[in-house]
Amino acid sequence: MAQVKNRLTPFFENITFDREDNELILNFGPQHPSAHGQLRLMLHLQQEMITKAHPDVGYLHRGMEKMAENMIYNEFMPTTDRMDYIASSSNNYGFALAVEKLIDVEVPRRAKVIRMMLLEINRLMSHLFWLATTALDIGAMTVFLFAFREREYLMDIIEGYCGARLTHAAIRIGGVPLDIQDSFLHQLRVFLNKLPENIKDYEDLLDTNRIWLMRMEEVGTISTEMALSWGCTGPMLRASGVAWDIRKEEPYELYDEVEFNVPFSDKGDNFARYRVYMEEMRESAKILYQTIDMYEKCVKDGETKLMAHAPKYISAPKLDIMTQNYSLMQHFVLVTQGMRPPVGEVYVATESPKGELGFFINSQGGPYPYRLKLRAPSFWHTGILTDLLPGHYIPDVVSIIGTTNIVFGEVDR
Amino acid sequence: MAQHKVNYTQDGGLPVALTSIDKIVNWGRSNSIWALTYGLACCGIEMMASGASRFDFDRYGTIFRASPRQADVMIVAGTLTKKHAEFIKRLYDQMTEPRWVISMGSCANTGGMFNTYATVQGVDRIIPVDLYLPGCAPRPETLQYGVMLLQKKIRANKAGNAQKPKRLM
Amino acid sequence: MRAYTPKNDVQAKAYYTDRYYVAPQVPKQKVETDEVFSHDLAAIKAKFDVKEAFIQVGQMIVYINANDIYAVLEYMRDELTYTQLSEMSAIDWLAKDNTFEIFYQMLSMSKRKRIRIKFFINNGDAVDSVEKLFRCADWSEREMFDMFGIEANNHPFMKRILLPYDWQGYPLLKTYPLQGDEFAAWYEVDKIYGKEAREEIGPEIRDTARVDRYDSERFSRLGFEVPKGTEITGDEPRNPQEYQEEGGVFLIKKFTKESSTVIDDPQR
Repeated sequence: MAQVKNRLTPFFENITFDREDNELILNFGPQHPSAHGQLRLMLHLQQEMITKAHPDVGYLHRGMEKMAENMIYNEFMPTTDRMDYIASSSNNYGFALAVEKLIDVEVPRRAKVIRMMLLEINRLMSHLFWLATTALDIGAMTVFLFAFREREYLMDIIEGYCGARLTHAAIRIGGVPLDIQDSFLHQLRVFLNKLPENIKDYEDLLDTNRIWLMRMEEVGTISTEMALSWGCTGPMLRASGVAWDIRKEEPYELYDEVEFNVPFSDKGDNFARYRVYMEEMRESAKILYQTIDMYEKCVKDGETKLMAHAPKYISAPKLDIMTQNYSLMQHFVLVTQGMRPPVGEVYVATESPKGELGFFINSQGGPYPYRLKLRAPSFWHTGILTDLLPGHYIPDVVSIIGTTNIVFGEVDR
Repeated sequence: MAQHKVNYTQDGGLPVALTSIDKIVNWGRSNSIWALTYGLACCGIEMMASGASRFDFDRYGTIFRASPRQADVMIVAGTLTKKHAEFIKRLYDQMTEPRWVISMGSCANTGGMFNTYATVQGVDRIIPVDLYLPGCAPRPETLQYGVMLLQKKIRANKAGNAQKPKRLM
Repeated sequence: MRAYTPKNDVQAKAYYTDRYYVAPQVPKQKVETDEVFSHDLAAIKAKFDVKEAFIQVGQMIVYINANDIYAVLEYMRDELTYTQLSEMSAIDWLAKDNTFEIFYQMLSMSKRKRIRIKFFINNGDAVDSVEKLFRCADWSEREMFDMFGIEANNHPFMKRILLPYDWQGYPLLKTYPLQGDEFAAWYEVDKIYGKEAREEIGPEIRDTARVDRYDSERFSRLGFEVPKGTEITGDEPRNPQEYQEEGGVFLIKKFTKESSTVIDDPQR
């Protein structure tokens, strides 16, 4: 087919031919195998060293905040899935927690335990994905295949729970709609028993690998001031010296009942972030063992409620809906018109695998939020590239983008 | 999806008579379709998962190539936004013929759940699409089935250098 | 006569409104109930003008004047250890009194407290950029400009961030429709093919309930599918789902449904 006539002109304005100072402007375009999504970086290069970096985002802006102003709260839940699409239950949970704080309901204990299990499984999935893609970018394809294999086991568990591998919508406002299936605990135990040797496999492949160390150490050093000023949270901040983990400092759910450590480092380079992620995987496994015990204790204690009891805002369990007339009518009203939270504002931050995921909801009493702002950690982790990249070489760009763990569903929403 | 003004029964719909040269060339082409890595959003993760250890893509002869000049099929996986629309057209133009497009996922098919101001309602408003895969995100098995269907389609068509135009624009 | 649709808020409206419904309020507590917050508020009040302050859902909310924002944030960062600006954005109240409400969400890690600083500006005013204090405000203010049209003074690069540079319109205003105005609807067609191509490509199909009768008829005939465009006679042959053609492909193993096995063990 001959070239169809269109308006697009060649992109010669990016390449300057007659400059005196030898500077080259390189466009690390929106389609790039290791840009982790749609990041466009415009790099000013002096031979191979970067003098200026300008990240251009917005290539995945889908207007989620505007969508929220036109949808009822429950309807918006699957949309939050698509923000950090690698660990979708964490976004669901953040939104559910924000609305629950707004309407002030207490989630039953069994649902809290299930939610914690889902959150930690999502953290493991996200960290494994991070390891896989970062290693792939640097060239360690073996780790990519291994980590995806582990991830598939976790996705099997989640698929058995809620039916979806990637975009779960497994957590609702007020609890969880489903109880875990019979094979969940067994599969999880089998996985957790194998996990330490798997993590040890990855570390054996990477930790003392000369190439890995050369690519990761002393590269992309973020000082504590820069991290605080740029709003870095999560592993980026913990690797730069500040041991701030929302699960420990402002505990939500049942995180004050489980014991785990918060790994942090004070070097702030790529290698520190890598070590923080690996240790966090181990800590997540620890938490999961404890939640399995908590769940079995819940079953023994006879706690069966999965959704909070708040008839004005939350539907009754399905059994009641199918048998009691009043529950059916209330469910009908809540689904067609939506719940009406009180007038007020709330900002709730949770520790997603990427960092501090915050939801700011301003409600004016209507069924749709008046303003919903999604605070995505990857937004500022992409912004920090402006200050971080100058002084590094082109290959370092790839490894730095890898370790900052950016996912573009969050950045652009 | 866009309203196409192409008569499918005339242009590329009905079975054609194939010579043995066609068959050999098509056999070679269908079993080595090299995909352009075009993972835009969540469907891109499922595309990567379908290329990873459990659902291996390599057994079809598909290797992910980053450069459009070396790729045969562009698997558009994820939401196409209006800011990005210009680039997908550029990359499609840079692909050498013969080339095919698989639109993976609801967002690429029709804009998906994002019925908003910044989303292109279907990637076929910009580039012609050969195969639509529904799902949000479609399972890796769906993508595998889609690739096999594309292989069938390649084998069913003539192997000449010029591909028939698939839409008016 | 057509019904009156207010133009100053085109977002979706609740399907049914109860005229006598009085919305409850999320409870607000006085600042004196919390020690840390009352100490911080007293420190801020000593230097700046505080219009209102209360505690809601465990966080303190402080209303100040728009001019003081740089000084207040500097004071909070240096003296009161609120070292992180978690978020900043705006809320559109143009329909109510032609103002925007800007909020800054601050976090103090040493005290484990969060404060929200808010103020109102009129339509058309600009805010002072706090990018010199917190680098994250660089991008947050660009996003605020992109979505609302509120500019920030002394900002190094006041351009759109999430939408293309040549976009017209500020999406998060209440007067902007969710599905975009005419500029948004034709943006990609105009950019790539030009205005002449609008009729050929056709308008966007935004109707979520649209059903193509013939497509559904053909598609729902699972096992008896026909190519698009052909007429359905009712006696098509059965078209079983096959992964490869009937005769198989040279050198490629023929994959049939019968030859596949179902694996039960998830730890395979």
